[in-house]
Amino acid sequence: MSHLKAVANRALQFALVLWAVVTILFLMFRLMPGNPMAAYIDPTFTVEQQQALMAQFGLDKPLWKQYIIYLGNLLQGELGQSFRYREPVAERIMALLPNTLILTFSSLIVAYAFGILAGAYLAWRRGSAVENVAIPLVLTTRAMPEFWLGMVLLAIFSFWLGWFPAGGTRSAGASYDSLWALYTSGEFLRYLTLPALTLAIYSQGLPLLLMRSNMLDVMKEDFVTMARIKGLSTWTVVVRHAARNALLPVMTSFAIAVGYQLQGNVVVESVFSWPGLGRELVNAVSASDYPLVQGAFLLIAIVVILMNLIADLLYGLLDPRVSHA
Amino acid sequence: MRFMYKAVLSAASLGILAASPVLAGDAIRPIEVFTRPQASQPQEFQSVQLIAQEWRKLGLNVNVRVLPWEQMSDVVWYQRKNWDATAWQMVGRPERSDPDEIIYNLFHSSTAEKGYNFIGYINPEYDAVAQAQRNEIDQAKRKELAYKAQEILAQDQPNMMLVHPKQTFAFDKKVWDPASVVNQSGIGIRNTWTFMSLKPLGEKKDIVLNSGDNVIAINPLYISGGVDSWVFELVYDRLVRVGPDGLPKAWAAESYEWKGDKTIVVKLRQGMKWHDGRPVTPEDVKFSFEAAVSGEAPMYAPFASNIEKIDIGDGSTLTFTLKQPSAAFVTSTLGKINLIPKHVWEPTINDLKTKEQNAESHQEKNPIGSGPFKFERWLTNEEIVLTANKEHFNAPKADRWILRIVPNVEAAVGMLRSGEINFLADFAGDPQVLLKAAEQDGDLEVVSSVEMGFRYVAFNNRRPPFNDPAFRRALSAAVDRQLIVKAAFRGFAEPSNSIVSPALGFWHNEAVVKNFKAGNKIAAKLLEDAGYTLEGGRLHYPGDQKETLAK
Repeated sequence: MSHLKAVANRALQFALVLWAVVTILFLMFRLMPGNPMAAYIDPTFTVEQQQALMAQFGLDKPLWKQYIIYLGNLLQGELGQSFRYREPVAERIMALLPNTLILTFSSLIVAYAFGILAGAYLAWRRGSAVENVAIPLVLTTRAMPEFWLGMVLLAIFSFWLGWFPAGGTRSAGASYDSLWALYTSGEFLRYLTLPALTLAIYSQGLPLLLMRSNMLDVMKEDFVTMARIKGLSTWTVVVRHAARNALLPVMTSFAIAVGYQLQGNVVVESVFSWPGLGRELVNAVSASDYPLVQGAFLLIAIVVILMNLIADLLYGLLDPRVSHA
Repeated sequence: MRFMYKAVLSAASLGILAASPVLAGDAIRPIEVFTRPQASQPQEFQSVQLIAQEWRKLGLNVNVRVLPWEQMSDVVWYQRKNWDATAWQMVGRPERSDPDEIIYNLFHSSTAEKGYNFIGYINPEYDAVAQAQRNEIDQAKRKELAYKAQEILAQDQPNMMLVHPKQTFAFDKKVWDPASVVNQSGIGIRNTWTFMSLKPLGEKKDIVLNSGDNVIAINPLYISGGVDSWVFELVYDRLVRVGPDGLPKAWAAESYEWKGDKTIVVKLRQGMKWHDGRPVTPEDVKFSFEAAVSGEAPMYAPFASNIEKIDIGDGSTLTFTLKQPSAAFVTSTLGKINLIPKHVWEPTINDLKTKEQNAESHQEKNPIGSGPFKFERWLTNEEIVLTANKEHFNAPKADRWILRIVPNVEAAVGMLRSGEINFLADFAGDPQVLLKAAEQDGDLEVVSSVEMGFRYVAFNNRRPPFNDPAFRRALSAAVDRQLIVKAAFRGFAEPSNSIVSPALGFWHNEAVVKNFKAGNKIAAKLLEDAGYTLEGGRLHYPGDQKETLAK
């Protein structure tokens, strides 16, 4: 019962946070300097046309009225029409979202799989020569800007060695029956490798360091000492006892990283001409395309909040000591 | 003793100044020049730095303000009284090969309040010339008027013209026959003519080109981004196309002929077909022009609003009757309106009339035109695929035209070398880098050519001291354009003093550029002659003029 109540409580919080996000999004871009009309400045642009456009965009109405209309539309699941592309925002986001998701998840899964294993290994080899080399190396990858790393990988693996293509999700003019057919093709894998690798290299430091420090803490715990005294093999101690316990906070960071990565993709999507949401977001902000900006940010906010919520709830399930009561 | 002598002297000179205040007005307030950031517009930023430096030598206090485009355009365009000077640019487009749009819209007083004359330049003499060239159908007489307009502007310097940049493109000469590449004057080699005539040398027959910007829409009734026009100029035909020489050329029209200054008779080419197989009829043509003014295509409306009526004659002739004489009609209307099939668009437009949205937000799943390429596929922000229309009267020699969206300039050059693209159609980087890459590669050909577009510094003609033509002349004369060409554009530009690019040979008044003399001494002399004075290194207004705008 208390569990149900906890979930309801979370849901209410979720709704409140969303409303705040929606309101901030609405005000932020309207109060920012810049004008959506700037995208249309052209010698042939007449006064009547400007006024017609303002009316069409609903920008001739007072701010509070625009806000009410915006909220009303949102409640009906209507994200509006992009000023620039003149097409429904939802359609545009949905066309780009799969590309962003596949890039995000493939890179994060690689990063976390590697980070967790390497973190556990490094904790186990604490004080060894391996650690002396590995830790500075990991810190270096954390400090490298993504665009720089992306350009270096591009220069080496694409332009110099010619192993991977430089941009896009498929070769010029290649046609696939469905997104599924594209995503399961070998060609797609070749196009995905470099951008995913860039993101993975950039992202693996966090789970690695987190895993390592958790492991070091856990290894000092009494139950680990107990397991060793029992004479269990090192493998069993490290993997079955220590690693499982050290994993929890890393899983939370994964959930948060998904949300973070959705917007962090901007740079990598630009470097590798990846047709995703991040690139679109930058364009929309600079063109003052309010509906598109609001829609895209709203989606990202929902994902972030949702992933946090899931992480919170999962925590309770994975570790009975954490209670929601 | 010596000190005393000096003190007496300076006291005396102070006394003279105090006694005759008419000698100098107030010091000119610090003036602000806007530029976009170095990261996005390196050449503009560098030019403005050089200009500010020269202006400071004249005794002005100059502040360079760096603003992103969104903020800059917001102030310049919507708060017209609140700025001094700003860097600005006009881009070239085929239909701007006729100088009317620039001569009229940028400087005619009627567009000063809310239109493109955002600088607030008002000169009745100029208005008369701008209007007269618009009405003059005789090419030779019209040329004289265009020359006159350029002379008045050179005299008044409402803007400070800087350069006509050179556009640089490249292609793989192992894939495409270099002889089949067409250089359209003022546009460069990336143009419709090139795409139609590119001849494959080997197995590769797809034109694969890049763009840094996304395609916004492929809609014959919506003027969206510049890249979009590359696409719809291939999918849709027009009665007239601007030829490689910059002059109009009959296209879907077999011929056209003026009958008086308000009537033009067009003969439609026989045997044309829409991409869905139906014939192109005179009714379709008439419908295309009517669709523009139907109220559902507001951006195209200005281009067709001068048409009084269109009569379909026997055979396949159409007679256009105009409301006002318009010399630019052939280029800016017949060469601008996309021909669209009536059977596709009439139901759509009737349906849209009952709705809040207009045709600008109607994206066809499969756009149908009659042009040299057919629409095949559009992947959002990734690529557009067109296939050659082999039945077209000017059928392309390539098989497909594939536009890849590549926001990363360095990657685009790398892709050109690796063969992922074979025509570099958009290059915003340093041309020297490209030349070097071509040298290393051996398979690439780089072509630079002067644009019809231009870069300039706009003066706010409403605000003192910029309301004084003499002041504007001096500021303009202070800067050697060769310096801008070399230091800011690394040689890839032509110095300018005219809004009509040398690329438009017929209309360009070479004399106004040749006669323009620049230098610090010339500028200082101009200011002195106009009564401006230097006091303690600071420039002052002439006479007893007060500074009314100082903060």
